[in-house]
Formats: sequence, C-alpha cells, structure tokens
Amino acid sequence: MWSAWRGITETIPSLTIRLDPSRLSALSRFPRTASGTRAYSSFFQDLEAQLEAMRRKAAKAMPGSDWTPVELTPGLPPEHADIVIVGGGVVGWSVAYWLKKKERIRGGVRVLVVEKDPTYSQASTVLSAGGIRQQFSLPENVHLSLASADFMRNINEHLGVLNEDPVDLQFNHSGYLFLASEKGAGVMEENYKIQRDAGAKVTLLSQTKVKEKFPWLNTDGVALASYGLENEGWFDPWSLLNAFRRKALSMGVYQCFGEVTGFRYSSHSMPINDGDRRAFSRIRFVNVRMPNSLEYQPVECGIVVNTAGASSGKVAELAGIGLGPKDTLAAVPVPVEPRKRYVYVINCPDGPGLDTPFMIDYSGVYCRREGLGGNYIAGLSPEEEEEPDTRDLEVDYNFFQDRVWPLLAHRIPAFECAKVTSAWAGYYDYNTFDQNGILGLHPLVNNMYFATGFSGHGLQQSPAVGRALAELILDGSFRTLDLSALGFMRLYHQQPVLEKNIV
Amino acid sequence: MLKILIPTLMLIPTTWLIPKKWLWTTTTSQSLIIALISLLWLKWDSEIGWSSSNIYLATDPLSTPLLILTCWLLPLMILASQNHISPEPINRQRSYITLLILLQFFLILAFSATEMIMFYIMFEATLIPTLIIITRWGNQTERLNAGTYFLFYTLTGSLPLLVALLLLQKDLGSLSMLTMQFTKPMTFISWSDKIWWAGCLLAFLVKMPLYGIHLWLPKAHVEAPIAGSMVLAAVLLKLGGYGMMRITSLLDPLTKELSYPFIVMALWGIIMTGSICLRQTDLKSLIAYSSVSHMGLVVAGILTQTPWGFTGAIILMIAHGLVSSALFCLANTNYERTHNRTLLLTRGMQIILPLMTTWWFMANLANLALPPIPNLMGELFIIVSTFNWSYWTILLTGLGTLITASYSLYMFLMTQRGPTPTHIITLYPSHSREHLLMALHLLPILMLMSKPELVWGWCYC
Repeated sequence: MWSAWRGITETIPSLTIRLDPSRLSALSRFPRTASGTRAYSSFFQDLEAQLEAMRRKAAKAMPGSDWTPVELTPGLPPEHADIVIVGGGVVGWSVAYWLKKKERIRGGVRVLVVEKDPTYSQASTVLSAGGIRQQFSLPENVHLSLASADFMRNINEHLGVLNEDPVDLQFNHSGYLFLASEKGAGVMEENYKIQRDAGAKVTLLSQTKVKEKFPWLNTDGVALASYGLENEGWFDPWSLLNAFRRKALSMGVYQCFGEVTGFRYSSHSMPINDGDRRAFSRIRFVNVRMPNSLEYQPVECGIVVNTAGASSGKVAELAGIGLGPKDTLAAVPVPVEPRKRYVYVINCPDGPGLDTPFMIDYSGVYCRREGLGGNYIAGLSPEEEEEPDTRDLEVDYNFFQDRVWPLLAHRIPAFECAKVTSAWAGYYDYNTFDQNGILGLHPLVNNMYFATGFSGHGLQQSPAVGRALAELILDGSFRTLDLSALGFMRLYHQQPVLEKNIV
Repeated sequence: MLKILIPTLMLIPTTWLIPKKWLWTTTTSQSLIIALISLLWLKWDSEIGWSSSNIYLATDPLSTPLLILTCWLLPLMILASQNHISPEPINRQRSYITLLILLQFFLILAFSATEMIMFYIMFEATLIPTLIIITRWGNQTERLNAGTYFLFYTLTGSLPLLVALLLLQKDLGSLSMLTMQFTKPMTFISWSDKIWWAGCLLAFLVKMPLYGIHLWLPKAHVEAPIAGSMVLAAVLLKLGGYGMMRITSLLDPLTKELSYPFIVMALWGIIMTGSICLRQTDLKSLIAYSSVSHMGLVVAGILTQTPWGFTGAIILMIAHGLVSSALFCLANTNYERTHNRTLLLTRGMQIILPLMTTWWFMANLANLALPPIPNLMGELFIIVSTFNWSYWTILLTGLGTLITASYSLYMFLMTQRGPTPTHIITLYPSHSREHLLMALHLLPILMLMSKPELVWGWCYC
C-alpha cells in the first residue's frame, strides 16, 4: 500500500509539471525563436502595430488635423476673389493695401495678389536703385512723387502692424542733383517752374553755387543745376515691398504664388454713339498656374488689376488687348516691355562724402552714395540702338568700362580710381510710347485696370499710385489726385504725355 | 390633387425627352400651367375644414396658400436658372431641372399630407434635392460647408421630432391631421412630457429658423445657385412654420409657459439679424439675414397661439416668400453680369439698368412692409398678437420694424444710388426674361392686396 502512495507522490510532480502554465498546450503553437522570444509575442506585436496604425489614422481624421479625403494642392488660390491683382511687386501690393484700407467694413472686398516668383529674383522692384525725386516735367508725376514721399516719411503710421517691428525704409533724404548744359538749361528752368508750382521743394543752382556746395564735382559744361531740398533721396525698395505686403496680409489680402496663363472672358458687341459696334469684353476667370506644375486654378473675379510690371504687355495680350483688327481700339496693345538696365556698385575710398546727392548728369550717367563704406551706385541708360538683350539678367561689365566710367570720371574726378565691386541688372517696365505710367481702366475690357509702364519711376510713385487706383475702383473716380492724363486712351489717340526728364 | 401631382411627375419625362432646343420653354410652360391649375384649390368647400378626395392628401385653408406658392415658384425657378445653367452639357441641365421638379413633388406632398408621419418623411425628403443643388451647382468652395451645415442642422432638429411623433402615435393611435384636431387635450405632468413638447417643435424651429439655431441659413442661401436660394427662402422655411401650426393644436396647455423663451429668442432675433444686415458686405447674405428676421416674427406669431397670430403668420409667410425670392432674383441679375456679390463693387446701378431699378424699388418697399402690401398686414397682425401676449414686446417689434426699414432702404441705396464705378458701365441690358421673372414675383403680391382673405388661413376673422 505504501508503494501505491509512493507511486502517487511520484506522479504528483509529473502532474504538476504537466499543469505548469508555461507548458500549456496553447503555447506549444508558439515555440521559442532563435532570439529566445516566443512567436506569440511577435503576433501581439504585429497586432499592436496594426492597432497603432489605425489609431494614428483615426487621430489624423479628427477635427483639428489637416487630413482631407481629397488631396488639395497647397498654395492654391481661392476659387473666387472680387479683385485679382496680377503681379506682386510694390505697385501690386500698394494697390492691395489701399483697397483694404478703403473698404470701410471688414471683409468688404476679397483681394487676391498673384505673384509668379516668390523669390522676386527678376522683379523690377527689388532690383531698383531706389531713388525718389520730384524733379519731373509732368505735374502729375510731381504730385505722385510728393504724395509718395509724404507717405514714406510717415510710413509707420500707415504700414505699422501691431506687435511687429516698425518699418525702417532707410530713407536717405539726400536729394537729387540734376546737371544741365547750356542746351538744356532752358528746359530745366521750365521744369523748375512746373515743379515749384506743384509744391516740390527744388532749387536752381548756378555753376558757381554748385562748385561751392559740392566741391568734389567737376562743373565743366554745367550751366545750371536743379537740387531737391526735401522729400528726395533714396530708400530700400525691399523694405517698402515687405512693409506693404505685411500690412496687406494682416488686413486680409490673399496671396498666391503662381503664373497667370490666361483669362476666360465673355464679350458682346454694343453700338457706341456714332452707330458702329464695338466688342466689349469682361474677364470672368483668371487662370492661375501653380509653380512647377501643370495644374491651374480658374479664379472667378470681378475686377483684374494689371500690375505685372515688365510683363504687363504679355498679360494684357492674354486678355485680347492689342489683338484686334488693325487701326481699331482693340489693336492698341499695352506698349510695356522689359528693358534691361545695369547698376554697378563701385568702391572709392576718397570719393564724395555723406552729402552726396543722387547726381544725374546731362549725359545721362547717374551716381549715388550707397551706405557708409565708400560705396556708390552708378549707371547709365543705354541709347535705343544699344539696348541690351532682355532674355536674362547677365551684367555686361564692358558697358561700364566703355560708357559709364568715362562720363562718371569726367564728372567726379575722384572716381578715376574707382573699382567696380559688383553689379546687377534689372528690368524697367518700359512704356515704349511715352515712358510714363498707364493708369486706369481699359476702354474695351471692362474690368481690367492698369497701373504699369512707369519706366523706372514706378517704385517711387507706388504708394500714391496704389491710392489712386483704389479710389478708381472703390469710389468710381480719382479723389485726391487727378491722374486722368495718364489714362489708356492717350495710347489710342496717339497723344504722348512725354516726360522730359527720363533717367 | 392628382390633377396636380400627375402633371408634376410627368414633368420629369418631359425634361428628359424634349429636344434640347425646347427644353426650357416646355418645362417653363408646363410648370406654369400646373401653377394655374393649382389656383383651383382656392375654392374651399367648407371655410375651416379639409377638402379632400382621399384620406392621404387633403388641402385646407392653411395649406392651400403654401401649396399654390410652391406650384407658382417652379416656373419662376426655371426661368431664373435658364441663363446660368445653359452653358452646361444638356444632360446636366436636365438633371438640374429634374431635381427642381422632385423638390416640387416632395413639397406638394408635404403640404397636402394628412398624416404627420407622411409630412415628416416629405419634410426630410426635401433635404436631398436641395442638398444636391447646393453642393453641386453652388458657386464657391464654401458650398460644401454650407451643405453640411444645412443638412446636419435640420437632421439634428428632426430626429427628436421622429421620436416624438412615434410616441404620439403610440398614445393616440393615429397621427392623421384630420382627427388630431378632435383629440381630447392630453395631460402633461412629467419632465419627459416637456421634453416631448420640445422635441415636437425643435425641428420646425430649426427650419424656420429661430435666431440661435439659424446659422445654416446664411450659408445655404448664399452658396446656393439662384433656384436653390429661391426655393429655400420662399418655401422650405415655410415648411417649418406649417409644421409648427399643425402640431401646436396638440401641445396646448404646455405651450403657454414653455414657449416663453422661444418667443423671446425670436423677437430678439429680429433685432439682432436686422442689425447684422446693416453690416453685411455681401448682397445675398443681406437678403438671407433679412429672411431670418422676418421668420423670427412668424415664429413669435405662431407661438402666441392666437387666431390673429396664426393669421399674421400665414400672410407674412406667403408675402415674404414672394418678396424674398424676388430679391434673390434681383441679386442674381447683378451677379450674372458682374460676377461678384460685394455691395461695394456693384453700386449706382440706376444709371446703367434703370428698369431694373423699378423692380429693386418695389421689392425693397415690399420688404420693408410698406402699406398696403400684404407684408405689412402680416407684420401688423403678429405685432398686435404679441402685444396682447405681453405689452413689452412692442419695444422689440417696433424697433425691429424700424431696423427692417433701414436695411431695406440701405440695400436699395447701396445698389442703385450713388456713384457708379467705372468698371460696370458696359453691362448688357436687362433681358425680358428677367423682367418677366420680377413681374411674376410681384404681381401676386399686388393682387393679394385686393383679396387678402385668400391667405388668412382658417382663423378667418
């Protein structure tokens, strides 16, 4: 009997071994792997991983995340905007800012600014020499520059954004100095009268007075000089552009980077006063193509503002301007084309000092001080025949050697030992008709406004131009400055509004 | 009843089989004939009872004006959509008209239903064609948001209604409106009865809309295409009012206390939405908020549960339906020409389209309830009945009338008077179709001035 009991006590350990949970039959499905972990743990790990993926996907679809079932291209412009501004240079952003300023009620108008190049690598605004002057011969130009100078002197009142750094335009009020020879003295005196009448603070200096004031200047051949005492000088165009942009974006302007590749417009012909019919068209959609992509978004719009600068002519052609039958209003193109201008930075340690104005010689060469390290910016507008190729912005240093330097060194002897440290080139939005801005509505395309063709003085007039265009759009007519002389119809009637002081 | 329903259903084969050239003409004329036949319903055999030939569909003096408004609106919707839909492919045009017809069909069934569940099903069914019209043919990206708001506000409100109706069916045995008016007053003692009361009314209050749950309306009205805006403003809002008027006969003793906050919300909403109108930059949004304002008055009138309140509510519903739809059509004529609805950019139109100014003037005068237009009659009845309910409401309703007048005049002056911007000088002149549309909207209003008893409902006093 004892042997039977002993037998039982012997079997009990084997029973306990059999009942050991680590050797339960379920586990026999998961033998140990080479690394020592059981396969069942990888099953649970897989399960955990899948559950984790599901949880992550569900969390992404919760409100507050930006997952959408339909993939949207980032940076696409809105499908509808009231006013589309083509071209995001300083004039375009100025118009956007003034439109928002005059809208009277928050969200009154929906403004979209479309800019082709987010780096502004070829934009005329940022490649400009940045000067501002009131010494024009057209009263409208003087008024525009005066108003703009006033705007820029109080820039933080206008473009200051709460909680952001104040705007610093680095406006050097050093004035412009125009030099005239015997031939040009008469014209300079007439211009002086026009400028003083319009309110510019300009003074005429005789040859001796010029020598007194600027002893570093060689006054051979200078009969008369016109010097701006106030509101003239130069500033940083990039700061102005960014100030307008920041303020406009804070007021709710939409910005889109893309290229305008076409307009969809409807046209119908209506009889005008003497019986014949004209085809009036109205732009309904602006096709904006995304950068580096074939995708485009048709933006439905009420008004289009063409401030595309050097490409304004091409943008206008997309709307059919200039493509009509010969000798009709529809055949008059927007005569704005890019013209390349070189700007050279020269260094001369013994050059003229802090009081250097923006000097413009009667031969066309110009020069101004840049910074405090003895650097100067100089350039010359080439003749019509030697206009450089506008396909790229490569700088021709020979132009400096052959054309700019002799004239410059003659006028400022200290520059005989000047060295060119760098140079850049930029486009003028050159109005081939009369080199003055085109401002206003097109007579046949009923909702396209222009603010382009300023041929080198667009930057300095941009705040006032923006205000004028905003008044045109929202108030119906010019309120503060009457710029109807700069309208489109002068191109049709072949009545150029010439500026005698083109630099 | 079938003489209207069968032609309406047959409009669908019409739209799909008619050759492209005759599509719009035929559908407009057929729907106009249906509208004219529907005028036969105005002959009531008994002053306050139902006239019906079967137990499922019947008309009574409450539903008849709304039914005729619905039938009248279909030709107007088709007229208004003709221009902006015609560039689309022909089958899409046919689908659009089919959706409008389906909506019409459901609305006729809803207004003439005798059974509350059938009314409920048709109430929900009208959401679908409207949603499709808003989200597919609306103009801007916000239309998806608008459709979502529209759908979910209405559905959230009407789910309690379904539960409440099922409870009612369990208690009463039948939900036929023909017999509901004769039920004994029920006893309501517990909290759940009060919640049941709220459940009955919530769907209709959302649909009206009551201020506070009105957010879907500006979105839906603004983003919808013109036919969608017209039918929303003219008829779909009135579904709520109609439902409220039908169901309040059962809710009786509770309503005296429980309606208090809703009447106050409605009256306050008149002033708030009226003030919002004065600050709107978008023309359609202005008209949408003015709809909320007028419907606030209607809600207050219905919840006072007096004969004058009900009468005022019905008159205001009919008159507002026609006038609001007219205003949307006018806004659409502007939009089709200039492609933007911003008030700042389409101003001074009187110089360019002087004949349209006449219609703008008449529609805005009707909107501000100029005597002797029926809008005024409705508003006066409701103001008097709320005054009877509490003297203090006169402050709110009086101020509301003042604000209504000011924003209607503001709308007129902003769009018609003032300096004309230079970019809208060469707009193409008004089409005869647009003049016809406006005439067809405003002529019934003028005719109702001479015989308002047609729209006084069964509380004929």
